[in-house]
Amino acid sequence: MSLDTNFMAQVFKTAIAGVPVTLQIVLVALIVSLPIGFIFALVRIYRVKILSPLVRLYVSFVRGTPLIAQILIIYSAFPSFLATIIGKSAFSIDPINYAYIVFTLNSIATLTEVFRSALQTVDKGQLEAGLMVGMAPRQTFVRVILPQALVSALPNITNATLYLIKNSSLAFIMSVKDITAIAKTQAAFSYNFLEAYLVVWVYYLIIAYAAELLFWFLERYFSRFQRTTTAKSFNWHLFSFKQPTTTVAAVQYDPKKELVNHAHN
Amino acid sequence: MLTIKNLTKSYGPQQILKGIDFQVNQGDVITLIGPSGSGKTTLLRTITTLEKGDGGTIDFAGVQGELAHLSKNDIRTIRQNVGFVFQNYNLFNNKTTLQNVTEGLVVAHKIPKAQAKTIALAALKKVGMADYVAHYPSQLSGGQAQRVGIARAIALKPQVIFFDEPTSALDPELVGEVLKVMRQLAEEGATMVVITHQMNFARNVANKVVFMADGQVVEAGSPADIFDHPQVPRTQQFLAEILSNV
Repeated sequence: MSLDTNFMAQVFKTAIAGVPVTLQIVLVALIVSLPIGFIFALVRIYRVKILSPLVRLYVSFVRGTPLIAQILIIYSAFPSFLATIIGKSAFSIDPINYAYIVFTLNSIATLTEVFRSALQTVDKGQLEAGLMVGMAPRQTFVRVILPQALVSALPNITNATLYLIKNSSLAFIMSVKDITAIAKTQAAFSYNFLEAYLVVWVYYLIIAYAAELLFWFLERYFSRFQRTTTAKSFNWHLFSFKQPTTTVAAVQYDPKKELVNHAHN
Repeated sequence: MLTIKNLTKSYGPQQILKGIDFQVNQGDVITLIGPSGSGKTTLLRTITTLEKGDGGTIDFAGVQGELAHLSKNDIRTIRQNVGFVFQNYNLFNNKTTLQNVTEGLVVAHKIPKAQAKTIALAALKKVGMADYVAHYPSQLSGGQAQRVGIARAIALKPQVIFFDEPTSALDPELVGEVLKVMRQLAEEGATMVVITHQMNFARNVANKVVFMADGQVVEAGSPADIFDHPQVPRTQQFLAEILSNV
């Protein structure tokens, strides 16, 4: 078996047109779902009446169904539904809009849970300390709790983004001309599927790597208050068994202190 | 200056505070002692509105009312006139030492930033932490963190400072530096209410000792009264246990 490298170079050139499409889907989904996911998380944490169970239902609904099923349902149901309102022109809408809808709805559910768990990691004592220096609960939330929650949310937001990047390849089902779709079409002409898929593979790897790098800088910036003496550095190696550097919790658990506490009580 | 009458508080079916009367006068250094579960911490948290009381009245900083029905304004007034030092410091993890102290001054008390910085530096100097202004809490030892916690409280010039077991989370060798700062504050005339298991502090620094057990004030008086001539058997028993441990 040999690889048709000329064909690969050709696919590499044509598939580049799909990169902006993939990035568009990812960016639109992220930009819309980040604030909504955050608001949903607040709704859950503060147990807002009526809304809280609805959000919970929504999250378990989205998380409990395969993405491909969500895509197929939105893609087959939405145009017909829209057609009953705006008529036949609904069928000529650019399919990328459906991709925006599916991936945004999906990310909202993931990010709701990300923000919810992140907000819960901040110790209640931080709020109490804020109240005891005379700050209002809202001021304490914005100035003390939120910045800390954001730091613990970032690794999971990175994860969600990477999944989003990779999942966006499923947009080809909705005939969106992203990287995957272009490569697939090319391959169908000459049956060089392996070559085309390898190119796709490389493209996603590059995009995911760039995203990881970007989020690493964000994480480093926002967690500067947690940094102790050992500076973290980005793991440049694409493939390595080195564990990702984890952020050390601001207050370290010290069994010795526990013992002292018990001795006193 | 601060008067609490007939304070009651329950968690579910369990009554934690069973009608407490508590008074703090200007310049008082009161230590609260008692076995764990006696309601000392809950008393402090209820007075400072971190917990809502079920019954009883408060008279403090111009607020007079039922603890269970304080208005938002009353709560804010009380909070802006007390200082609180937590057992586990509760420094703002995302703020530097200096920001920890200026935060309340600037945000809550609306003091201009430059002035707040001057006040904060003076408070940090007093607790011996002026060299650590740019450190984050994660870079401080327990003793250092607690001294910043004290600086944060005193910078606000509160009428009363409450200390909830300020040295209980510290390694034994760090307890001294925190107690020294507290003793110095007491000598300067600060009004303090301190929950502590440090009996030497209770005996030598306080002017009043309150012994609590099972949600009630069992006995209160001068350190000499309580430590040398306890009247109530429950107090005698507690002191015998605690002093024999050392």
